[in-house]
Amino acid sequence: MNSPARATPALSSPAAARSALEQVAANLSLAVRGKEKEVRLAVTCVAAGGHLLLEDVPGVGKTTLVEALARSFALSLSRVQFTADLMPADILGAQIFHAATASFSFRPGPIFRQLVLADELNRAPPRTQSALLEAMAQGQVSLDGVTHPLPRPFTVVATQNPVDFSGTYPLPDSQLDRFLMRLSLGHPAPEVEARLLVLARDAATAGAVVDPVSTPEALNGLRAQVAAQRLDDTVADYVVRLAHATRSHGDIERGASTRAVLALGMAARAYALWEARDFVTPGDVRAVLGPCLAHRLLLRSANQGTYTRDEALHLIEEIARKVPAPR
Amino acid sequence: MRQPLRLRLVLRDLSTAAAFASMAISSQVPVWALVLFALALIVALTGRRPLARAPRLTALLLLPVAGLLYLAVASGQMDLVVAACSFAGIVAAQRLLSESTAATDGQVLLVGLLMIAGGAALSGELVFALCLLAFAVLASLSLGLAVVEAAVPPGEPVPVRAVMRPLARGTFVAVVGAALFFILIPRLSWNMGVRRASPGLGTATSGFSDTVRLGGSGTLKSNPRVVLRARLTPDPVDTEHLSAYWVGRTYDTFDGQEWSTIGAAKQRHRTRVTLRPGADKQVYQRIELLPAYGSRTLIALETPAKLGNALTHTPTGDRRTRLQELGGDELRFVDDGLGYSYEVYSLPPGTDTDPGRMNQTEADQLLALPENLDPRVEQLARRVVGDEKDPLAAAQKLSAWLQREYQYTLELSGDLADPLEDFLFVRKAGHCEHFATALTLMLRTLGFESRLATGFFGGERVGEEYIVRAGDAHAWTHVLVPGRGFITVDATPPAFRTNQSIQILESLVSLYEAIEGVWRTSVVDYSFRDQLDFMRGLSRPPRDPSSDEQRPSGPPARAWWTAGLVALGVYGLVRYLSRRPRRSPLGEATRLVDAVERQLTRAGLPPREGETLEDVSARFTRDAHPLGPTLAPLTRRYLEARFGQRPLESGERARMLEDLRRALDTWRQGSRSNAP
Repeated sequence: MNSPARATPALSSPAAARSALEQVAANLSLAVRGKEKEVRLAVTCVAAGGHLLLEDVPGVGKTTLVEALARSFALSLSRVQFTADLMPADILGAQIFHAATASFSFRPGPIFRQLVLADELNRAPPRTQSALLEAMAQGQVSLDGVTHPLPRPFTVVATQNPVDFSGTYPLPDSQLDRFLMRLSLGHPAPEVEARLLVLARDAATAGAVVDPVSTPEALNGLRAQVAAQRLDDTVADYVVRLAHATRSHGDIERGASTRAVLALGMAARAYALWEARDFVTPGDVRAVLGPCLAHRLLLRSANQGTYTRDEALHLIEEIARKVPAPR
Repeated sequence: MRQPLRLRLVLRDLSTAAAFASMAISSQVPVWALVLFALALIVALTGRRPLARAPRLTALLLLPVAGLLYLAVASGQMDLVVAACSFAGIVAAQRLLSESTAATDGQVLLVGLLMIAGGAALSGELVFALCLLAFAVLASLSLGLAVVEAAVPPGEPVPVRAVMRPLARGTFVAVVGAALFFILIPRLSWNMGVRRASPGLGTATSGFSDTVRLGGSGTLKSNPRVVLRARLTPDPVDTEHLSAYWVGRTYDTFDGQEWSTIGAAKQRHRTRVTLRPGADKQVYQRIELLPAYGSRTLIALETPAKLGNALTHTPTGDRRTRLQELGGDELRFVDDGLGYSYEVYSLPPGTDTDPGRMNQTEADQLLALPENLDPRVEQLARRVVGDEKDPLAAAQKLSAWLQREYQYTLELSGDLADPLEDFLFVRKAGHCEHFATALTLMLRTLGFESRLATGFFGGERVGEEYIVRAGDAHAWTHVLVPGRGFITVDATPPAFRTNQSIQILESLVSLYEAIEGVWRTSVVDYSFRDQLDFMRGLSRPPRDPSSDEQRPSGPPARAWWTAGLVALGVYGLVRYLSRRPRRSPLGEATRLVDAVERQLTRAGLPPREGETLEDVSARFTRDAHPLGPTLAPLTRRYLEARFGQRPLESGERARMLEDLRRALDTWRQGSRSNAP
C-alpha cells in the first residue's frame, strides 16, 4: 500500500472530501455507464491509497475506467500491456551504457508514472509480475543496488482476464495480497449498452470525453484525510473478528492475512468519506468486505475461476451475516 | 425438522432420572411406578421414542391413571404425596418417550422439578441432596446445549465442545458458590415443612412396641444399620466388641402368643428420671439414637439408674425433651424427633441392685403363666433343673441346657397357635425371643420369679465410640434373686446374640452411616451457631482445657493465615475483574439503537436477519421509504455517538425516540388511509 506524502495536509473536512469523491465518481460514470457501485468502490480504493485489480472478460470497459480515472485526477498515466515475453526491465527501466561518456545512466521504465495500468497482468510470467511487488508495496524501485523513488501519488491498476482463459498465468498469492480491492465490472445492462452504441458515433474513445475534475495534490490530500479517519476500538475489533472468521471457516483453506486486515481498515476509512464522516462504522467495513477479501482467500474447493470468485463472495456474505456487528 | 442433539437428550433424560431417584430413595414410591419409569428411561436412553406417533392418545391415557391414583388416595390405600410423586413419574416417562420438541423438553424439566419437590417431601437425606445436585447439573447442561442448538442454523454443526466447557465450568462455579453461600451466609432454617418419613436407607426397622410377639415370618438380625452410638466413661479402651446388654424395656405378661406389660404409664413428664439408687462405680454413657432406630424408647446399658438431659433432633434443630415412665421400666421421649441424645448412669453388671418399686400385682405377675400352657413345659423344666432351689443356679442350668439342646435359626416359624410348644417340642430351633421366652416361662413353672427383657446386645468400637446395629436387637431373661435384684440370664447361644449380617454389608453401611452423620451435622443441622463457630475457628485455636497457660498476646498464627488467604482471594478477584474488558461507556447509544429497533418492530418494520440500524436506514433511503428521512439523521447521530466519539447529550435520546414515534404514528395512519 502506498503511503501518502507526509507533507500533504488533509482536506479541510470530511464534507469537502466527500464532494471531491462525488465529483470524480460522477466524472467516471460518464465514461463507464451503469456501474455506479463499482465506480464508487474503485474511487474508494484509489482514495485509500490502494492498488486495484480489475478482473473481467475483455471489452467491458476496464481500460476505459482506468483512463478516465487518470484523467479525472489529472494523473500521469502509463499503460503496460503484459505479454508472455515481457521482461521486468520493460516495466521498471534499465541502466543504459553511454559509449560516449563510458558511463551508465538510469532510463526509467513505464512504472515511473502516477497511475500505472498493468493491462492483462496475468498474461506475463510470474517473474515479470513480481517485478511490480516492490513498487506496489514500498513505492520505490531498486535496481542494481540503487533505489529510485516513484512519484506520488502512485497507483497500480491491473486488469486481468478470468484465469480460465488460455495463455494466462495465475497471479501468485503475494501479488494478489498487495491489491487493496478486486473488482469486476461485468457486462453493462442492455439499455446502457444501447446508449453506448449511440454515443460511440460521437467519440472515438470514452476516456477522451472526461475532463479533469481534481488534481494529484487533491488525491494526496484525500489520502491524508483517509489516514486520519477515526477507527473505534469496537469497529477495529469487528474487523479482526471478521478476518478471524475467514481463518476458522471450514470451507476456507487460507483466510485473510494481517495485511488483509490492515487493507480492510484502510478501505473502510476511505469508504466512510462517502457519508462525509470522519469515523468508520461497521457498515463501512461490510461495504468493502467483499472487494477487499474475496481475492485473498484460498478456498478448499480450490478450482480457480469465475465460480470461485462467486463462491468466495458468497462465503464472505455469510460471514458478514454471522459475525455480530458492534452496536 | 432437524435431528435433536443426542448428547442433550441423554443429559435431559439422566436429569429426569436423577429427579425420579430423589423420590425413589425414600422407598415409598410403588414398585410399578419404579418399573415403568425405569423401562421408559432405558428405552429413551437407547434413543427410541416409541410414543412420538401418538402423543395425544398416550397423554390421554394418563387421565385414567390419575383417576386410579385418586381412588387409591380417596380409599386411604395411598398417601397423597406418594400418589402425586408416582403420577409425576408416569408423566415424566410418557414425556421421555415422546418426540423431542422445545415444548417436550420444557415439560420434561418441569416434571423433573416437580419430582424433586416430591423427593424433598418424602425424604431429605444425603442421597436426596446428591440427586438434587445431579438433577441441577444435568438439567443445566442440557438446557445450555438446547439454547445453543436453537441458535445454530440448521445444517450447521453444534459446537458441543465449545459450549460444554464453559457450561461445565459455570455449573461447577455455581455449585461451589452455593456451598460457600451455605457455609458462610447467616441463615434461618427453612426446612420447616419437611416430612421425615424415613431415614436414607429405607424405613426404620428396629421398632420397640408395647408387645413382643412370637412367630411371624421373615428373617431377623440381618439389618446392619446403626441405631445407636454411645461414648462410655470409664472407657473400656481395648475392648473392640462389648459383651453388654443394652436394655430398652421388660415384659412380665405372656399370653401364649405375645409378651406385654401390666404396669401403667405415669403421667408425669420429667427431664431426669432416677430408676434406682446409684452405686460407687457407675458407667456413664452419652448415647445418641440415630434415625434408623425409629422409636422413642430410651436404651441404656444394664442396669440403668439415672437417665436424663435428653435432646431431640428435629429438622429445625435440637430441642430439650422430657421423659415419660411407662410400665416395664420403659422410658420414652415425650417429643417426636429424628434422633435423640441423652445421658445415662448405669450400674455395672454384677452389682446388687434394687429391683425398683413394684406393687403387688406387678410382683405377682412375675410368676404368671399363660392359661393354655402345655403341661410338658413344666415337666421338662423339672427334669432339667432337678431340685435346685437357688433361682440363679436353676436359671443357669436351664440356660446351659437350652443352648446345648436347641438350634439357633433366623427363620421365623410363621403364625402358630402355640409358638412355645413348637419351639420346645417340634422345631427345636428358634431365635432369641424363643430362647428367652422358654427360659422365662420354665423358670416360672418352677416358682422362680422372672421376666423378659428386650434391647440390644453387643457394641462395636468405632473410634472412641461404640455403635450398635439394628440387627443387634436381642431378648433375654431377668431372674429375680432375693437380695440381689434382677440378674440377667441369656439362654441364646453366645454366637448368635449379636447381629448376623454379612461383613461387607456391615462395612458398607458403616461407611454410609459415617457419611450420613457428616451430612446431618454439617448440612441438615448446620445452623447459625455452627456458622459462628466456623468463623471463630478461623481466627482462634480450638479451646484446649488441658492447657492452662496464659493466652499469648496478639492474634495467633491461625488468624494471620486466614487474613493472608482472604487477602490473596481478594487480590485475585480484583485482578481478575480489572483484567476483564471494560464495558463501553457508550451504552447510551446502544440503548438508543435497541429502543429504535423495538419501535420499528412494533410498527411492523423489523430489521431483517443480520441487519444493523445502519443497514435498515440505508435500505429505507434506497427504497425511498417515507420513514427514511426520519431514520437517516437518527442513524447518523447514533453512529456518531457510538463510533465517532460524539456522545449523545442528555435528553437527546428521548427527543429522537419521540420524533421517531411521531413519524411512525404518521406513517401508520398514512398507510391505513391508503389501504382500501
